[in-house]
Amino acid sequence: MTLLTARRTRPAHAGRRRRFGGRFNPETPPWLFAAPALVVYALVVLYPAVSGVVYAFTDWSGIGQDMSFVGLANFRTLLADEQAMGSIGNTLLLTVAIVVVQNGVGLLLALGVHARLKSRALLRVVFFSPVVVSPVMVAFLWKYIYNPDPSAGLNGLLGLRVDWLGDPSVALWSIAGMVVWQYAGYSMVIFLAGLEGVPRELHEAAMIDGAGTFQRFRYVTWPLLAPAVTINLMLSTIGGLKLFDQVFAATNGGPGYATETLSTVLYKQAFVFGKFGYSTAIALVLALFVAAVSLVQVYYLRGREVSA
Amino acid sequence: MTDLLHDARVSRGRFLRMMGGLAAAAAVTACSTRPETTATTGSGAATELKFIGVADQKAAMDKLAAAYQQAKPSVRITPSYAPTDQVQTSLRTQLGAGNAPDLHVVYPGNGSAMSMTQIAGAGLLADLSAQAWTKTIPAGFKPAFQLDGKTYIFSAGSSVIGAVYNKKVFEQAGVEAPPATWSEFLALCDKLKKAGVVPIALGAQTPWVTQLITYALVPSTVYAKDPTFDDKQLAGQASFADSGWRQAMEMYLELQKRGFFNDKPNGTTFEQQTAMVATGKAAMAIQVSAVLPDFRKAASSPDDLSMFPLPGADDANSVWIPAGVVVGLGASAKGKNAEEAKAFIDFLGKQENINAWAKEIAAIPLTQDSSSTIDPAVESFLPFTKDRAVPFMDQRWPNAEVQPVHFAVIQELLAGDSTIDEALKKMDEAYRK
Amino acid sequence: MRRTFLLEIVMIAVAVAFLFPVYTLVSLSLKDPGQIAQSPLAPPNPPTFGNFTTAWSAAALGPSLVNSTVITVVSLVALIALGSFAAYFLARVRSRLGYGLYILFLLGIVLPFQLGMIPLYELVTDLGLIGTHAGMILFYTGIQLPFTVFLYTGFIRALPREYAGAAQIDGASHLTAFTRVVFPLLRPITGTVLILNAVFIWNDFFTPLVYLGGSGYETIPVSVFAYVGQYVSQHGLVFAGLVLGALPIVVVFLALQRYVIKGFSSGLKG
Repeated sequence: MTLLTARRTRPAHAGRRRRFGGRFNPETPPWLFAAPALVVYALVVLYPAVSGVVYAFTDWSGIGQDMSFVGLANFRTLLADEQAMGSIGNTLLLTVAIVVVQNGVGLLLALGVHARLKSRALLRVVFFSPVVVSPVMVAFLWKYIYNPDPSAGLNGLLGLRVDWLGDPSVALWSIAGMVVWQYAGYSMVIFLAGLEGVPRELHEAAMIDGAGTFQRFRYVTWPLLAPAVTINLMLSTIGGLKLFDQVFAATNGGPGYATETLSTVLYKQAFVFGKFGYSTAIALVLALFVAAVSLVQVYYLRGREVSA
Repeated sequence: MTDLLHDARVSRGRFLRMMGGLAAAAAVTACSTRPETTATTGSGAATELKFIGVADQKAAMDKLAAAYQQAKPSVRITPSYAPTDQVQTSLRTQLGAGNAPDLHVVYPGNGSAMSMTQIAGAGLLADLSAQAWTKTIPAGFKPAFQLDGKTYIFSAGSSVIGAVYNKKVFEQAGVEAPPATWSEFLALCDKLKKAGVVPIALGAQTPWVTQLITYALVPSTVYAKDPTFDDKQLAGQASFADSGWRQAMEMYLELQKRGFFNDKPNGTTFEQQTAMVATGKAAMAIQVSAVLPDFRKAASSPDDLSMFPLPGADDANSVWIPAGVVVGLGASAKGKNAEEAKAFIDFLGKQENINAWAKEIAAIPLTQDSSSTIDPAVESFLPFTKDRAVPFMDQRWPNAEVQPVHFAVIQELLAGDSTIDEALKKMDEAYRK
Repeated sequence: MRRTFLLEIVMIAVAVAFLFPVYTLVSLSLKDPGQIAQSPLAPPNPPTFGNFTTAWSAAALGPSLVNSTVITVVSLVALIALGSFAAYFLARVRSRLGYGLYILFLLGIVLPFQLGMIPLYELVTDLGLIGTHAGMILFYTGIQLPFTVFLYTGFIRALPREYAGAAQIDGASHLTAFTRVVFPLLRPITGTVLILNAVFIWNDFFTPLVYLGGSGYETIPVSVFAYVGQYVSQHGLVFAGLVLGALPIVVVFLALQRYVIKGFSSGLKG
């Protein structure tokens, strides 16, 4: 079972494949190739995470020596915690909005700047530039842009009267807009890496065969973009579910609790309320949730790749 | 295996060579950019005191740390500042891992995760009670500094909450004297509104700003009537719902209903609130005196701004004000430099240093002498500070959950999504957690 | 030809819209507090360059720039070396154990950072690496490896095995086949791995604050955010510092993109 079953059969290499097919016996590289990475990864990520999980079963405040084991009490608290449960809905809505729009925009941008435009190098820099700004600062900056005053910011520019961050029914989407602006260039870069891997001869051959732009995209580009699509969808989904900095800096979960996500809730429990044990329990649930969603996605994407 | 290693040596790709070169170059730079500390204090005898503070402390702390190093060259203070939320996160991580910095920011009283009561309660703050300055802490401030009779935090003084107003706007609207009662205040707002300015700028998008109007009113609606309210509430004999808190919330919403706030306060940030008052688009903001330096920077002339106490009662004599001890610092109880760290705090406790710190943040010095200066903008609060002032409410709250709930319910009330009953109920629930 | 021209016009229009917040950032960095209060989004009139000089001197951006560069460059080298080798193995291995290892790496992307935060801090303290470049490099290498391995594995799997096979038939070892044949083919994704990791490491604020705060080795975000207070901030300085801090990454990206574009149009010209 492979997670990323990109299609290995490229029409252009069909000839070569046949030539080597009989003699080449694919050998796997030695384990040693993965060993250094595994050691560092285990030390920095796995070991601390595994030792951290213990706190989920305690009532530790986060500081001091007082700590006792409380079994599954934290998980029971979570089930009855209206605020935490309410934040799940926000987390999902935000994630769906970000995944769909960010990848859609990212793909269009990538296709646009992959074409032989005179300004493509510069355009790539422009679309990528928001990625370079730190997320906390992006939120800070967008608060100027989201000024509710009709004569200022985005309202002034577009002649609107929207209360971007203050209206509880709008705030979540405003955050999504800000995140999409920042990360569309991120998706673009990954799509571009996929597009650069599509040999131009293929396009030229298809063009000679009389294929139109859409057909060339559908039958030549899209199938070969599979790894980039998978990577982008998974990264943006995971990123959306875990999104913290932007929400925290833009609204801190407000107005009221309108933009509270699982990440802001678990952050507040640990560092504002001093309930580290409970926060770890939420973190654990979040991790399982994200893992489950990713798995579902993998199955779906594999299906798509097969039918493509 | 040997084959592999052999190959590694002879057939390394161009890329790997380039990477190796970069790494080597970086390593060389790393060595050549060691901070001068180790070089200049080479003797090894110098003590380095690590301080972690919030950005609001930077100006005062940098000055006093420099003065201390001048007086005591064997000590070097290495400060680090960051925005409040991030400091809270990073400090709690370090405290949690048992590696506290020698000196760090501490919030007075209780009610937040970085407050004196919570950290000292976990046994992580050094007892400062032996230092001379602790003997002169005014009685009303003792709960902010002390837990079980021992002092754990240094703070240079107190700040007040009231109306920061633009003098030019008041003049243009023909306002002569600041209001002394709630009715006068409402009349003033009316007058300003008719003059075509926003009477009160409210930046409720920034969570901590939401609480200031309630905090400014509650001393008059709750504590003027019952100065022991905090103790009763702690004992479970009083609640938010059955107290003057209800009246304060009603007054808050009355200001909104009468159209005295800017449009869409929930979407307006603290920065935008500041700009509105500084540029005269709005006449005033209910704010803490610590923001005065920022308001002044944004105004065309620093003299444009002043403050007056927000009168929360219709009898001028039962108007009380909030005066809270400003964010301070403490010494780690377990650090290997605990004695040196305490010595630095003792230095901060000298009157001239209290004066210097307070001046930098427009605060009222903890104790005063002839050389103390008090920001002219807060002079109108001085008659209250002796016996008609109460600490900021959260400093006496038993846990860190009440304050964020207060922020959230105010935003919900302003959005019209909640009622005062629901709001106070949520606060009472959080209080009992 | 006309269609390319049309596309170019459309893309430039989109770019202008995209740049609006960037323009906001730059324009704020050129204003004094009074100008920001008056009209935050109008063009700076007159522009104040004082913010940049203050940011450079007061926030000690010079040394911070060196710290950020050292930490970012060394971490990137380690990430690309460790990540690409591991991914080559993971993409080619066919055993269950190999697949399990791949899933184990992916787990690193899923885990919330807070889970291991305190044990990790204890570990770095025990290793004596608090307040050092080495501690940060170790941290970033570990924390970004899952992402790096994920990107590389996806792309290596899409590469025909025959490329490496061809080299191996000539008697080359796996190491030679990888460094000489496979790795050069990974250039587009290496560029992506490089820039995306660089951005994360360069901008990361929280970990360097915890690990480097007060050490004299602060990175750019740590130095700049020291001026963001609750009550009092130096916004002009902060914006200017962030603009200065972002420039190196923009330049690296521009250089990288030109390299990637050039490499391909010259290499595969039919």
